[in-house]
Amino acid sequence: MFTPYATHILILIGIYALLGLSLNLVLGFTGLLNLGHIAFFGIGAYTSALLTLAGVPFPLALLAAGLLASVFGFFLMLAVRKIKGDYLALVTLGFSFVVYSIFLNWTGLTRGPLGIPGIPKPSLGMFTLASNQGYLVLVLIIVVLTSLFLWRLTRSRFGRVLEAVRDDDLAASVLGKPVFRLQAQSMMLSSFIAGIAGSLFAHYLTYIDPTSFFLSEIILVLTIVIIGGLGSLRGSVIAAVIILVIPEVLRFVGLPSAIVGPMRQILYAVLLIGVLLLKPRGLFGRVDLT
Amino acid sequence: MIAFQLLINGLIAGSIYALIASGFSLIYATNRFVHFAHGTTVTVSAYLLFALFSRLSLPFFIASILTIVGSGFLGWLMYVALYRPLKQRGSSNAILLVASIGLMILLENLMLLIFGADVKTLNYLTVSKGLEISGAVITPLQITIIAVAFVLLLVLWLLTRKTKLGITMRAVADNEELARISGINTDKVAIQSFILGSAIAGLAAILVALEQNIEPVMGTSLIVKGFTGAVIGGVTSLPGAVMGSYILGLAENYGIWFLPSGYKDAIAFVLLFVFLLWRPTGLLGLSKGTRD
Repeated sequence: MFTPYATHILILIGIYALLGLSLNLVLGFTGLLNLGHIAFFGIGAYTSALLTLAGVPFPLALLAAGLLASVFGFFLMLAVRKIKGDYLALVTLGFSFVVYSIFLNWTGLTRGPLGIPGIPKPSLGMFTLASNQGYLVLVLIIVVLTSLFLWRLTRSRFGRVLEAVRDDDLAASVLGKPVFRLQAQSMMLSSFIAGIAGSLFAHYLTYIDPTSFFLSEIILVLTIVIIGGLGSLRGSVIAAVIILVIPEVLRFVGLPSAIVGPMRQILYAVLLIGVLLLKPRGLFGRVDLT
Repeated sequence: MIAFQLLINGLIAGSIYALIASGFSLIYATNRFVHFAHGTTVTVSAYLLFALFSRLSLPFFIASILTIVGSGFLGWLMYVALYRPLKQRGSSNAILLVASIGLMILLENLMLLIFGADVKTLNYLTVSKGLEISGAVITPLQITIIAVAFVLLLVLWLLTRKTKLGITMRAVADNEELARISGINTDKVAIQSFILGSAIAGLAAILVALEQNIEPVMGTSLIVKGFTGAVIGGVTSLPGAVMGSYILGLAENYGIWFLPSGYKDAIAFVLLFVFLLWRPTGLLGLSKGTRD
């Protein structure tokens, strides 16, 4: 169907599209500048990896990854319910740093910087999803289901009330909308999807370590959402494709891998800054980042 | 005495955080957005010092002066090339914060490309035997760090209290609109505080480079500390930022009595959480305008 290389890129695009979609729900549709999103991805990845290594079947571990991330999402929202704007951004960024240092230091559970190797490929009873092409199908199914679900949700009454909260939370609460409950629901759903994405990431690479859940990855996801545009689901998916395909050009130019890494990061940073300077609403954005 | 040694270690860490926090706080007070790339100014300055001193073999004193000038220039460049255009577009604080994180990633990776991933050391001072004060060890360099920080912070405090520049800055910090109406060029003040704040970061970089290794990612941890120190004390108050930094330095060092040292950054973040959530104006900060 696809070459192994294309399959690999497509799987990563799928996983990052899930991250972009879920961050957009919180950032674009609910108006919460959450810089801690990558922590949910990490919680999902570690949960699923550790559970399957302990013998829990993959579908249950996948679900648990989403649920645990969602629980953390609820508590983060509970903690930040009274703060806004750049203060909110910093507290959530702090949350992701704390989670990162727990991954790094709770060596009894996470093996710290050594990471967790040998995470099993997904299996259900006799059937194991060993090939990458099969894995791609699994990822695509989840991406399509998530997109459809979010598409319906954001066009429902719930979605419109969420956007009302984003535009003016005071007005929404005066009209009797339960602002905190709506924000918490949005955050929990978003972190659930990020947790699922984390699980898919862990079982695809079969190895995770804390570096996949640090600052540079936050920038990657944030860049996807901002380039795609706040409040545009289509934008996030398209931006995930663009953002993951562009750096592959560097590889083909024949740069040594020691240079490709930093160059990728520089490219993302320049793209992000460029979009903020020139077209802050991104490709399909409907609202500004406030 | 472990407790006494931790006190000294806390003061050394606190001195470095205080230099970073005071520059950060100066920039925040007049600009009202979070310049997260301030830690990276320290990184870039430390590499500049390394290049001038270790690669070009300039005398240490001259290399240090050039480093401070260079970091002031970097501050100017950041403001003029990135923040001013964004402000003129009417960008929100959130956009400025995201842009500054982007800038931080950009500069960190630039340093990584130019100087490589391995840590650099200056080797200016040969490792000297520490002095022993009632059981605790402190090196002459560490005494210098504490002294330099103390003198500089005093000068900075006098500058904001007694000079016209400082009074103008405080006027803008207090109420930007009112300052503009009274004929203060707020854009000029913003530039001045970027230059001054970044130059202080350059000085901090010299001390950091003497005390520890230079690596591309050190800026992230430094700005987390500087920012936390500033928030604990009150982000718009210079004496507050300094006090908060020493509290943080001490809290971290006493904290690793109970926790693995890898949790140092986490201690800073827990303090940051506590203050942002329950006392966002800090211990000495202004009671208004810091939280919108």
